[in-house]
Amino acid sequence: MRTWKVTRRTEPLGWGSFLLFIMAFGISLAISGFLLFLQGKPGLGGILLLLEGGFGHGYSLEDTFLKAIPIFLCAAGVAVCFRMQVWNIGVEGQYVMGAAGATWVVLTFPDAPMWAMLPAMGIGAMVAGGLWASLPALLRLYAHMNEIISSLMLNYIALVILQRLVYGPWKDPDGAGFPHTMVFPDPAVIGTFLGRIHYGLLACLVCGLGLVFFLKRTRLGFEVTVGGENATAARYAGMPYARLVLFVFVVCGALAGLAGGIETSAVLHRLSMNISVGYGYTAIVVAWLARLRVGRIALFAFLLAGLRVGVENLQLELGVPAAFAGMMEGCILLTVLAAQFFDNYALRRVQAQPAAAGQKGAGA
Amino acid sequence: MTFALFLKVLFSAIEQGTPLLYATLGAIITERSGVLNLGVEGMMIVAAFAGFFGLHLTGNPWLGLLAAGIAAAFMGSLHGVVCLVFQGNQVVSGLALTILGLGLADFLGAPYIGTVTKGFNPIALPWLSSLPVLGPVLFTHDVLVYISFLLAPAAWFVLTRTRWGLALCATGENPQAVAAAGLSPLAWRWVGIVVGGFLIGCGGGYLSLASSHEWTHSISAGRGWIAIALVIFSFWRPGRAVLGAYLFCGVSAFQLRLQSAGVLQIPTWLLDMFPYLLTLLVLLLSSARGKGRAAPKALGVNLEPGA
Amino acid sequence: MHTTQPLVSLEGICKSFGPVKANNNISLNFYPGRIKALLGENGAGKSTLMSMLAGSLQPDAGTIRVLGTPVRFTSPRHAHNAGIGMVYQHFKLVDSMTVAENVMLGQEDGFLLHPAKMYASIATLARTYGIEIDPAARVEDLSMGERQRVEILKLLRRESSVLIFDEPTAVLTPKETEQLFYAFQRMAALEKSIVFISHKLQEVMEIADEIAILRRGEVVEEFDRESVPDKTTLASRMIGRSMNTEMHRPALAPGEEVVVVENLEVKGLQPLSFSLRKSEVLAIAGVAGNGQKELVEVLAGLCAPRQGNVRLLGKSWKEFFPTPPKVNGLAYIPEDRQGMATCPDLSLVDNLLLTSREIFTEGMLLQRSAGLAATLQIISQYDVRPGNPQASGRSLSGGNLQKLVIGRELLRQPAVIIAENPTQGLDIAATEDVWARLLEARQHAGILLVTGDVNEALQLADRIAVMYRGKFVDCFPVTDAVKVAQIGSMMAGVAYR
Repeated sequence: MRTWKVTRRTEPLGWGSFLLFIMAFGISLAISGFLLFLQGKPGLGGILLLLEGGFGHGYSLEDTFLKAIPIFLCAAGVAVCFRMQVWNIGVEGQYVMGAAGATWVVLTFPDAPMWAMLPAMGIGAMVAGGLWASLPALLRLYAHMNEIISSLMLNYIALVILQRLVYGPWKDPDGAGFPHTMVFPDPAVIGTFLGRIHYGLLACLVCGLGLVFFLKRTRLGFEVTVGGENATAARYAGMPYARLVLFVFVVCGALAGLAGGIETSAVLHRLSMNISVGYGYTAIVVAWLARLRVGRIALFAFLLAGLRVGVENLQLELGVPAAFAGMMEGCILLTVLAAQFFDNYALRRVQAQPAAAGQKGAGA
Repeated sequence: MTFALFLKVLFSAIEQGTPLLYATLGAIITERSGVLNLGVEGMMIVAAFAGFFGLHLTGNPWLGLLAAGIAAAFMGSLHGVVCLVFQGNQVVSGLALTILGLGLADFLGAPYIGTVTKGFNPIALPWLSSLPVLGPVLFTHDVLVYISFLLAPAAWFVLTRTRWGLALCATGENPQAVAAAGLSPLAWRWVGIVVGGFLIGCGGGYLSLASSHEWTHSISAGRGWIAIALVIFSFWRPGRAVLGAYLFCGVSAFQLRLQSAGVLQIPTWLLDMFPYLLTLLVLLLSSARGKGRAAPKALGVNLEPGA
Repeated sequence: MHTTQPLVSLEGICKSFGPVKANNNISLNFYPGRIKALLGENGAGKSTLMSMLAGSLQPDAGTIRVLGTPVRFTSPRHAHNAGIGMVYQHFKLVDSMTVAENVMLGQEDGFLLHPAKMYASIATLARTYGIEIDPAARVEDLSMGERQRVEILKLLRRESSVLIFDEPTAVLTPKETEQLFYAFQRMAALEKSIVFISHKLQEVMEIADEIAILRRGEVVEEFDRESVPDKTTLASRMIGRSMNTEMHRPALAPGEEVVVVENLEVKGLQPLSFSLRKSEVLAIAGVAGNGQKELVEVLAGLCAPRQGNVRLLGKSWKEFFPTPPKVNGLAYIPEDRQGMATCPDLSLVDNLLLTSREIFTEGMLLQRSAGLAATLQIISQYDVRPGNPQASGRSLSGGNLQKLVIGRELLRQPAVIIAENPTQGLDIAATEDVWARLLEARQHAGILLVTGDVNEALQLADRIAVMYRGKFVDCFPVTDAVKVAQIGSMMAGVAYR
């Protein structure tokens, strides 16, 4: 008789890991196709339509790039937090507050020249996002409050604040009563350089490289990694754990805020409820799929942005609701999470040992 | 404040607290076995759709409820497969479940938005409902409310007074001790996930079968997260879950009553924030740490495979 | 020797871990009503052998017989069913539950739990064996000795006939040890077979009926207690030749005071005063749990002193700890190598940088290449195996990990070293290696050695302080032969004259 035995891997899996991802991704696509089929729509055709819509044409690639920019920035922030086992899921709220911060700069100094306007907007966005993110950090450090729920609740609260702003004090007086701000003046709009792709992509590049450098080369980055691996060891080695928690929250909030600022400026050209489309949640999926590595986050941000664009295509062609994208994201994350088991463990066939023939009560 | 107002508030507290109570009790059972489940929101909304759909197909609300429970238990099992079989991170898996559930329910439910069904209706219990004062408050609800009255004591009894409860709770505290006693911690975690999942499903089902008699977009509206906060508030005990769920909805209802009576002049945007601020307050109140208030020790910690 | 049939017998048991032969051809019998001691030093293979008997490990070769029938245990459950149970050093209890609930866990005895009935039946069971316990108490409120009783009750409730104890007295106070031994005798009187693992000669002579000595994975001798002439004979039989080599300890003139503690008070500690000089080893000997942990946490900066003065290198605790010096400062070698001193999933280089990151930092940047070079140097200098600096900490055995930790801590030429049971769980070669390194480090440091092993204290220390219940019973130079002879009774809190 032979059975399977689970052992911990000592050597990393290497390329096998990539193969596992492809398999998990394939399973998710198959499940999604099956669900389309259940609703009386072409299963395989639908999936092909989706992929084509996301990656098949020049304009769809442009769309995918545009969506990948905020997703990448948010996911990079999430990765910093998750590396320290700090579960900040309030990225959506931090993103929204960042957008509001950038908008505040525009509405307060509408006549500023571009060289002053854009950097000020960026700073405003990062400060607003960072401050918003410091709330769950402080609540965790001083009130021992679970950061998962507090950061999530702050997402809802941020949305209410956004709503209040665009329906109230920031409403465009010439907007025919629609809930959005005035259109930003030209100096407050980030320009494009390749089709509709804007210079926000450059911000991604800078932040991404900066983050890699920070994590690999600086002492603080090393401390963040150790803090996530083993909090006891971090304390033993004299690292300021509480300050590190606050730090990663603020870094994440600043990156998410920057994403929000860029999105309002470059894509929406104004602040409205449309800013919040769930990039903050997609970012969590992306960060984990990428196993918290910055380089891979770029790849997965592009992939999941493509899925979102593809689903928009399905919406037009087959009348599939936008929620389909969320469903696929959840499905992919679950299957990949399961597949990552094989990164850490190996299955071996071994000779099974016959069950014991011991009898009850040897001394009786 | 008049006494009549108080009774009205109490009535709505029970009515609106019931889905929260089911979900909180379910999450308590799951977490007591050591499985951290952040997928409650996703499970509830899928259950709400399954409940609606079951009723829509069969016309029988009980079959709808069964479908809701099974759907959530199935969703929970996905979490179980990822975390118990494949050693996935419980926090991330739970979040994935919520993202999946919210998407799935809206995707499957899109064609049915606004479809009206019959569902459970209030039944005044004979004799009991004619009790003075409390009779109408407690005994003029639908049957799921009455079941929930029995459920909390039952959950308390099973968890603290039976061999099953002992094994389940011990698994959440120290799986090694359970294994040393010759029991399977893995099996008990599955029990926690499936039984807890079924109850969470009943909470979700309540939303589409009893609270409202139609299927609407985003029907769960963050209740799953509130339930998770209430689990912490209740210190993982069924008795305090009752208190938490009714108190939460009571305060909300009270605030609405005052508002509509014109006593308070709160801007609407603050009102919109109210449930979330209240959840934060609930967490703040329960974060005081002490004996008997701590989370199960092994909560969120996976069992080593092969052990 | 015996006329009755053994309850359990081991025949030719072998077990290897990789190239290491933990057990080699071991045969032993366990008889009802007898107390058997397995005597041997750390790493002799006692725990491995007992884990096989208790079903958590499987032998490579050999047979286990229960009442003459060969059996094969693939899990602790099989051993339970055959009437064999083990009390591990790390108790497997649910802290937040009551004694009764812990005992009843997994016992098939009706679906409903009746607290009152449970308490009564467990109280009766405890009384039968002379065990003192409150069945309604929560385990988290109990002392280590009381927790151990809960583990014993679990086995008794299951009607185990062979009870195995792994170093049962390591965590006990002398009074609790007495109570445990009384329970041993009661259990033996009721025809149970007791097996206990120990390396303490005194208690073996006191309680055991039979003694088996393990050395390097083999049973070298087995005899009845009555046939042992005296303790010294027993000691030499246990230790063999190898450990009789004295460490070479060249005398060094003590330098200036590096640690001064005056009336220090923290939770679990009586007001405590002592000082440590450069080039001196002060050993704090004692049974674990007598305040050593609390003292070390203050000195290592993990916990602030509540009262009293602590001066480190001439600075007060508050001045010293926010920014301890990068070099020539303080190094702490914790007992918990895997949970505290290292990160198992990070590479050896990262583990080196863990505490020495300050000396490999320029501006804000971490000099990884310098860290790598230092890691390679430690690997070759200390013979750390396997010697791949990018391998994870997890891939190293306890001894090799400890060598890396010591190499890392000595890298900064500390002026104060706090070493907590630095050789626990290491084999003889690694132990001697660690000792030699520590003696060498005296050149630039004062060393505070916290240890439960008297031999280690004698080998390394210039002065020995014996700690009991949060205070020093006495503190004396290692040359004071009269007091050295009394260390054992001091550790047990027995007043001496």
